Amino acid sequence: MKRILIIEDDTVLRDELTILLQNTGYEAAAVTQYQDILNQMLAAQTDLILLDINLPETNGETLLQEFRKQRDTPVIMLTSRTAEIDEVLSMSFGADDFITKPYNPTILLLRISAVLKRTAKTAAAQMYHDAEVSSVKGSITRNGSEQVLTKNEMIIFQLLLERQGEIVTRDALMTALWDNDEFINDNALSVNISRLRGKLAELGFPNAIETRKKQGYVLK
Amino acid sequence: MKLTEFIKDRFTAYLIFVLTWVLMLIFLFTFHVQTEAVVIASVLLWIGRCIAEAWEFLRKKQFYDKLLHDLSELDQKYLLSEMIGEPEFREGRILSEVMRETNKSMCEQIGLHRRANSDFREYIELWVHEIKLPVASLQLMCHNDGNVKYAEQLKRIDDYIENVLYYARSRNAEKDYLIKPVSLKRVFTDTAIRNREELQQRGISLSTEKLDAEVMTDAKWLGFMFGQLMNNSMKYGADAITVTAEDTPEATVLRFRDNGIGIPESDLPCIFEKSFTGENGRTHSKSTGMGLYIVRQLCEKLGHSVAAESVQGEYTEIIMTFGKNDLHDVR
Repeated sequence: MKRILIIEDDTVLRDELTILLQNTGYEAAAVTQYQDILNQMLAAQTDLILLDINLPETNGETLLQEFRKQRDTPVIMLTSRTAEIDEVLSMSFGADDFITKPYNPTILLLRISAVLKRTAKTAAAQMYHDAEVSSVKGSITRNGSEQVLTKNEMIIFQLLLERQGEIVTRDALMTALWDNDEFINDNALSVNISRLRGKLAELGFPNAIETRKKQGYVLK
Repeated sequence: MKLTEFIKDRFTAYLIFVLTWVLMLIFLFTFHVQTEAVVIASVLLWIGRCIAEAWEFLRKKQFYDKLLHDLSELDQKYLLSEMIGEPEFREGRILSEVMRETNKSMCEQIGLHRRANSDFREYIELWVHEIKLPVASLQLMCHNDGNVKYAEQLKRIDDYIENVLYYARSRNAEKDYLIKPVSLKRVFTDTAIRNREELQQRGISLSTEKLDAEVMTDAKWLGFMFGQLMNNSMKYGADAITVTAEDTPEATVLRFRDNGIGIPESDLPCIFEKSFTGENGRTHSKSTGMGLYIVRQLCEKLGHSVAAESVQGEYTEIIMTFGKNDLHDVR
């Protein structure tokens, strides 16, 4: 399970972020003491840090600059300021992404998973049970038989695969699709999922995608 | 200054002069002064008077003509008092003194309002940043509890807050933007995701064409403008939005087209004006008349141009042109 450290001084926002991340299947910890944040950042065994720019007594940009001298753990900056200069500064100090408040939660989650994916050293081929998933070819291969997925189906399958065994909401799937310039509607999503089911069944995975009423889908 | 005007102005003085001269003549003749002496005295008197008047006329003409000329040449009329110099005659000095004083007092007043204005704007910006915290918290709460109903309303609140921020900033955008190469596709997609729920609820389909172009602009402001246009399309009954870009060597032209109710031809020239609501604003949905006004303001500040085409009942198309001249290309 990926660990995420939250550094945000607004307590309500911090707690809600923690809940959001935990619900999504991350292990979330938050900094509650704002003295000596840098050492807490360095001491934490974490895969990703969410760092607010406005912090008591210090600011996120300075922290990031100091932190980068010693570690290259991915950092996503959070801010309520909408000045472009913050973004440029953060990026030049080595932030991996930059999100302004208030953020669409699904976009935040997408960015987090994108950063984690980008920084994951193991670029080995993705596997689904004993089938090989190739996003380059856009296909799934099992025992020599290959199923070609459309772009939309691939986006859906990859998101489900990333969070295999967990519920992925339609909302999250939709946001991921839109993020890839596929502005599809609800019906089209249902159609895509049923086609994907069909293709998985062809490969010998019937009922691979389970529907959870009013919640979403789970890839088994 | 014309001579006739000058003479008209001095008429009373001349009248008194002539009267005194006539009285003098009567006086001299009653004392039987020689006619030659009277003539010589009169001529001398008249010549002296004429020279004095001519001199007076010329120096006033010189001063006031220069003053009026400067006034018509000046771009900022209030700077006149700086140009007036030190006149040679008393009236002119009084005038320049008065102008200097009134100008000073006006500058103080303007400074006062300018400070108050910028204080207010700073406060608004600060307030916007503060209010975004609870809004962000509420959005996360809604998401964590799966409450879509509240999330929709929050989205609206957030949109209105953005509006305030951008309006407060649009006046002096130069302080607050960062021009760099921006992918039209990226910005449009982000805006679409932000508005996804509402777009889907209304069954609006989006399509993009050739949006791969990069333009020199500020990403956040462009995103805000797309948001405004999208909101308008949703308000005015569109069910399809098509965005296309055309890349030429001189400029990138973006066309944001929807198939909504369109804009009456008579309203079309005014839609970018402040507080203009037009027929659609009255009959369809509450309109503040600010959205497109802010869009045009931002476009002007960023050096883009914006125009609209529409056929009522068929479509509305907003056309934004992003220049590619040296001024914008900083690479």
